[in-house]
Amino acid sequence: MPKLLKSVLIIFIFFFGLSLMVPTPLQAQKSKKSIPTLKVTVEDFSGGSRLRITSDQNLVFSIRKSGYVLVITFRALLGLKIEKQSFSSQLITSVDLAKSPEAYLLMVKARTENFNFSHNARKSPFEIIVELKNKEDTKRAETAAAAPADKTLEPTATPPTTATETTLNQKESSRKQVKTIVIDPGHGGNESGAKGIYGTLEKDITLAVSKKLKEEIERGLKYRVVLTREADVSVPLERRAAIANNNKADLFLSIHLNGSRRVNASGSETFFLSLNATDEEARRLAYFENNSEELGSRVPEKDFDDLKLILWDMAQSAYLKQSSQLAEFVQLELNELLNTRNRGVKQAPFKVLTGAACPAILVEVAFITNPEEEKLLQSEDFQSKVAEAIYRGLNRFLQLYEKP
Amino acid sequence: MKRKKKKLTTLLILLLILIIVVMVFFFGSRKEKIKHLTRPAVPGTAATQTKEVQLKKVTLFFLSESDDLLHPEEREIQVSNLNEEAEAVVEELIKGSRSGKLNPLPENTRVRQIFVTSEGTAYVDLSRHLLEASYYGSSGEMAAVYSIVNSLAYNFKEIKRVSLLVEGNERETLGGHIDLSRPFLPDYTLVAR
Repeated sequence: MPKLLKSVLIIFIFFFGLSLMVPTPLQAQKSKKSIPTLKVTVEDFSGGSRLRITSDQNLVFSIRKSGYVLVITFRALLGLKIEKQSFSSQLITSVDLAKSPEAYLLMVKARTENFNFSHNARKSPFEIIVELKNKEDTKRAETAAAAPADKTLEPTATPPTTATETTLNQKESSRKQVKTIVIDPGHGGNESGAKGIYGTLEKDITLAVSKKLKEEIERGLKYRVVLTREADVSVPLERRAAIANNNKADLFLSIHLNGSRRVNASGSETFFLSLNATDEEARRLAYFENNSEELGSRVPEKDFDDLKLILWDMAQSAYLKQSSQLAEFVQLELNELLNTRNRGVKQAPFKVLTGAACPAILVEVAFITNPEEEKLLQSEDFQSKVAEAIYRGLNRFLQLYEKP
Repeated sequence: MKRKKKKLTTLLILLLILIIVVMVFFFGSRKEKIKHLTRPAVPGTAATQTKEVQLKKVTLFFLSESDDLLHPEEREIQVSNLNEEAEAVVEELIKGSRSGKLNPLPENTRVRQIFVTSEGTAYVDLSRHLLEASYYGSSGEMAAVYSIVNSLAYNFKEIKRVSLLVEGNERETLGGHIDLSRPFLPDYTLVAR
């Protein structure tokens, strides 16, 4: 008899366990009507600060460091609230919750960029412990010699007034004297892009055109040119924009070829980014648009406060006006030089453009699926013409912005 | 001995009741999920016909070859709940245009699930066949994305944004062009006037 009891108990425990596991996270979140709350506490230990985040519900999250801000992204369908205790810390200045279209972001601002972090997470009860350690403490001797004195002061700089902004810009321009154009040959590696009837691959032509464009620019302008790929390799889309940003690019040009289901589709078109932004986002973006009237007056990185930083992965939004102008000039020259059908300047939410922190366009040179245009695209002569047209377009754009 | 046995049986009965409660919870929630996944297997069977099928008009957007803009076409779908009506709209898009416009979605694409959140984001989960749309470059991706986004947002006021999933997963792009990582707002500038 006790055996029976035992087996029944086991079955019971089994089913009970199952019943706990069954509801999917989505259902669980739906059924639990309550909005999860993050409880945040901050405390110091020697050499750093410890951030403890707990919640009554398990949450999916990711952590990344961006400058002097640590961003913890939470995917919460229902919403998210924050409860924080006031604190004073040697390393952390503020902790705030912000909302982006698809996630909630906990922005942990530090006094300096020079910190390392490590984290530990636990489920049920949900808890994340993040430890921020001051790099300077360990490497003070090295950094004092290497970094200029103002670097450590930057994060604590006062909010930008017009006066400080101009000095910041001056600092920017003196810091980078060589101007850079980044060219992005579309696709590559195992992503061959669109394909022509004669077997021409988009990735090969985009690379050939990009290399010719690089030569053309270096011959005519005092610009450094960087290609996002020099060979037939696959480069992730976000990496391409990052290459532009890491090189402090002044222009970003992505070269692509078009395709269509119908063979007689033809012509050239130039794209700049369409925002696809929600109202809330659009309001914040207005800030950028007003602050980037001139080329070179890039939005100072330290000026990205909590809310603006959310958009760092949408950096292009600050440069839409200039990008549309650049697109107009390039499209004009393409029409003039190539004799292809003018498909005009268009806007689309291209992944590769979203992260570029400078004027950026994507050129669809011609249709590789059109046999006539495919033949043209194969010829070196036509490729050179394309490069020249784009060069002329960007040159006109640069002249507009270049100060004597 | 007898008393012990009696005690055991009452214990057993209690446990059984508990098990049943647990199983109702288990299968109950399961059933809800299934209901949400299945759609009427054979539309227009005897059962539904006797019930008098209610139809409603919807507007679909297809890409025209001549001007590269989206053009409206009307269809009738069965009146049902929001998720199922949204599925019907996307299925009609897959069937293609009746006036010779380009079909924006590969015809073997299947609608896996559509789910509209209370905040107005429609999650449209399609089979991997959708990726074939990207064989035709950025214009192919634009056509696929915005025929779905515009058609859904235009017909259902509850749908404000559309997020595309492929085989249940988020994707960066279909084939290297259009950014799928953010939900789409409808873009009516792509619609012909």
